[in-house]
Amino acid sequence: MNPEAAKLFPAVVAAAAALAVSGLYCLLATRNLLRALIGFEILVKGVTLFLVLAGYASGRSGLGQALVITLIVVEVAVIAVAVCIVLALHRHHRSIDTRTVENLKG
Amino acid sequence: MTDHLLLTALVVLAIVSVMAADLILSVLGLAAASAVLSIVIFRMGAPMAAVFELSVCAGLISALFVSVTGLIQPSRRQDVREHLRKKLARFWLLPLFAAGTGVIVFLISAYLPSYLPAGAPAEDVRAVLWEHRRLDMVGQVIILLAGVFGITVILKEKAE
Repeated sequence: MNPEAAKLFPAVVAAAAALAVSGLYCLLATRNLLRALIGFEILVKGVTLFLVLAGYASGRSGLGQALVITLIVVEVAVIAVAVCIVLALHRHHRSIDTRTVENLKG
Repeated sequence: MTDHLLLTALVVLAIVSVMAADLILSVLGLAAASAVLSIVIFRMGAPMAAVFELSVCAGLISALFVSVTGLIQPSRRQDVREHLRKKLARFWLLPLFAAGTGVIVFLISAYLPSYLPAGAPAEDVRAVLWEHRRLDMVGQVIILLAGVFGITVILKEKAE
């Protein structure tokens, strides 16, 4: 590992872990579906930071970037479909609170 | 020093995004966190990933969230205040939890580099994507098509 990466390593790992914990906590604690998606986004940002750090520290930044690009594409597809599901739920229930969504019919 | 400031700003913005009472403020916090993350990624020698993060995550996804927040009826000010009070009761542990995890991971991270492979010559992301990870590209196309198909099916209007 180059000295620059070694110097930055602990701080980036700590930040990525804090991001992942924030996202996970939001996913677990919130009852608003849109806020749950925001929590998911923050969790994915932590993973993105970990991937870039792994590429940077091991000197294989090309592979790290390729994985991050794939992750972003998957993230966009998941978020777009999830947002549409939230919209459809709002259309039916007039609410995006998880407590009001009680049936999965149709 | 700059990197440490950027990382601190990133974590603070993420916590603001989770804690904010107003959904729009939450989405703006997320967009700002994405922008800061793209600067961090760029400074770590990954410019292509930084461009993707900035354009797709800070731009496209934030625009999507803002438009959906606009479509969903806004809450009354009194409801927002009540919601914030309840949420603070549920989320009060979050800043402590996130900071604690960050400190613990910071302390043990000195042992982590030994798990990383030895340094290899820097690779070009285009070469990696098109020569070594070609199957990933096929997967990405399939996932995007599945996403488009899913959106079409979910938002399809019922026939009269």
